Amino acid sequence: MLASTLQVLILGLALGGVYALMASGLTLIFGVMRIVNLAHPIMIIAGAFVAYWLFRLYGLDPILAMPIAASVLFVIGVVLYKLVFEKEAASAKYSEMTVLLTFAVALCADGLLGALFSNTQRVTTPAYATDAFIFGTVFIPKGQAYAGAISLLVIGALLAFLNFSRFGTAIRATTQNRAAAQLMGVNVGRVSLITFGIGIALAGAAGALVSFLFSFFPAKHWEWIAILMSLVVLGGMGKLMGAILSAFLLSVIAAFVGTYFGSTWSTMTFFLALFVILLVRPQGLLGDRQEEA
Amino acid sequence: MATELGVSDVLQARKDYNATLASAGRRERATWFPLALLTLLVLLPALQITGGHNYTLHLVLYAMMYAAMASSWNILGGYTGYISLGHNVFFCIGGYVSGMILAYFGITSLITAPLAGLTAAVVGFAVGLITLKMRGPTFIISSIALLMVARILFDHWQFVGGSNGVTLPQMDIPAQWAKLPYYYGMMVVCALTVWASYRIKHSKFGLGLRAISQDEVKAESAGIDTRFYKVLAFAISAFFVGMAGAIWGEYITYLRPNIFLIILVAANMVLMCILGGKGTVAGPIVGAVVLIAFNELSVTFFGASEINLLITGLVMVLALKFFPAGIVGTLARKRRLPRVLDWD
Repeated sequence: MLASTLQVLILGLALGGVYALMASGLTLIFGVMRIVNLAHPIMIIAGAFVAYWLFRLYGLDPILAMPIAASVLFVIGVVLYKLVFEKEAASAKYSEMTVLLTFAVALCADGLLGALFSNTQRVTTPAYATDAFIFGTVFIPKGQAYAGAISLLVIGALLAFLNFSRFGTAIRATTQNRAAAQLMGVNVGRVSLITFGIGIALAGAAGALVSFLFSFFPAKHWEWIAILMSLVVLGGMGKLMGAILSAFLLSVIAAFVGTYFGSTWSTMTFFLALFVILLVRPQGLLGDRQEEA
Repeated sequence: MATELGVSDVLQARKDYNATLASAGRRERATWFPLALLTLLVLLPALQITGGHNYTLHLVLYAMMYAAMASSWNILGGYTGYISLGHNVFFCIGGYVSGMILAYFGITSLITAPLAGLTAAVVGFAVGLITLKMRGPTFIISSIALLMVARILFDHWQFVGGSNGVTLPQMDIPAQWAKLPYYYGMMVVCALTVWASYRIKHSKFGLGLRAISQDEVKAESAGIDTRFYKVLAFAISAFFVGMAGAIWGEYITYLRPNIFLIILVAANMVLMCILGGKGTVAGPIVGAVVLIAFNELSVTFFGASEINLLITGLVMVLALKFFPAGIVGTLARKRRLPRVLDWD
């Protein structure tokens, strides 16, 4: 009994790392630009497709394909920001407008990926995807172990970048107070552009990991929107540490629910958590008690 | 000798004056146009005497359904400014309530549609109590989560057929006339919704809703019970969508979660409102007609539903970026709105 509990806990934590990586880009974008990026999950799927085709055509390992997927998505993110979002910063109903815009972008990307690659289930199959480390009675699938470890590494690098580099400081300053940051000489427009790119790149990186963890298809991203959003809301909108914490928390809970009640209900955990948190503590775990603009 | 003027006299005088203003406004209004449109829709099935117009009737029925749903969405999303991306949950609830009654008791949805609407409204009220606490982006997120929860529940609820759904009995009518009951049913729902949307916009309740969309804190301090107003708007909006779902479910003769609970249905409602003009009475109808015509063309030319999704998304991006006020809204702002489309 104890062993199986430990087993579920480990599986939950490994996946939690990947969820944290997915949510980190989303949180970063919301923090700096107040954009709720509903197109984030479809960008993850796009990253997964990059890894998938590199694997299929050149046999490139999805983990090694991560930087490539991230770079491709970075470019897509920057172009998207320039085309769609940059001018909206002046709009009166900014947050409502941008949510609708990201929703529309998600529809476009979903339709485009579906038209190009069709909505069939796909998955990359590197050797480690079906292998496992075994310690006595506990086993860890290698795929999940690697994915979790790499996610933590990337998140660590992101945190280091945010905390110790000049540009990272600018990003944090913009998150805290956009107007004040601008007064202190931060080029807020450029920070927004690059941050959007980084956020989408993180989605791409997560996508490469997703490509061997789950089977994916373009229309799957709707389910993930709600999952990722629940993490972000639970953690407190725009709070990076909050999102990471809630990713681990919910992932572990979902793993237990999945083990005892069946996998359908493990997805449900995220959605129900969202409603519960809205009822009990609408500002999220680490959020401040203040009205959103 | 001074005339004695009581408070009630002043109030009466003001009331009279307002009434003359309103009647002057009403004389300029092209009330005949919606009525003519309705008459035309009533007479349209006469085409079927010669036969072969089932497709036309289907298309008009479909447009009326979306006009009803977009108008209904407008009551919450347009007047109050709370964007719900999961409104097809109520479409689904309406369809399933009436469909199940039909399957088990054989009562047609044309009779049970109000009950289906009421069920949707009750669910809407309960959900609204939770989700409408949140403002802006968080509410939108919660509406998507609601859609996902509903999808999982309906996919796994064996009583209503799970993800395979259920097939409903068909009415015993010759194919030539088979569409008519649903056509007229949907027309009634559509007309009712538009009428309700108009009445709400011109009531004190509607004024309160529009105040909420402008500035919720100020509305609250002006004495509007914003919580109750929002939740009621949500429930009313769910009611009409539920009725439309009830009739649509029996019309297509089967219920399945992946007909009702796909994001495209919700996206269409939102997009029609934005395209036509959020917060206007005529906007959602114009948007519904334009978008359905557009979709029909794109399906004819490109086929695949993925392309359709892509085009829907593109239209939405372009509409949001260049016509955020929509067709009716933009024309009204430029004072170029034809009188026949000024339903406000």
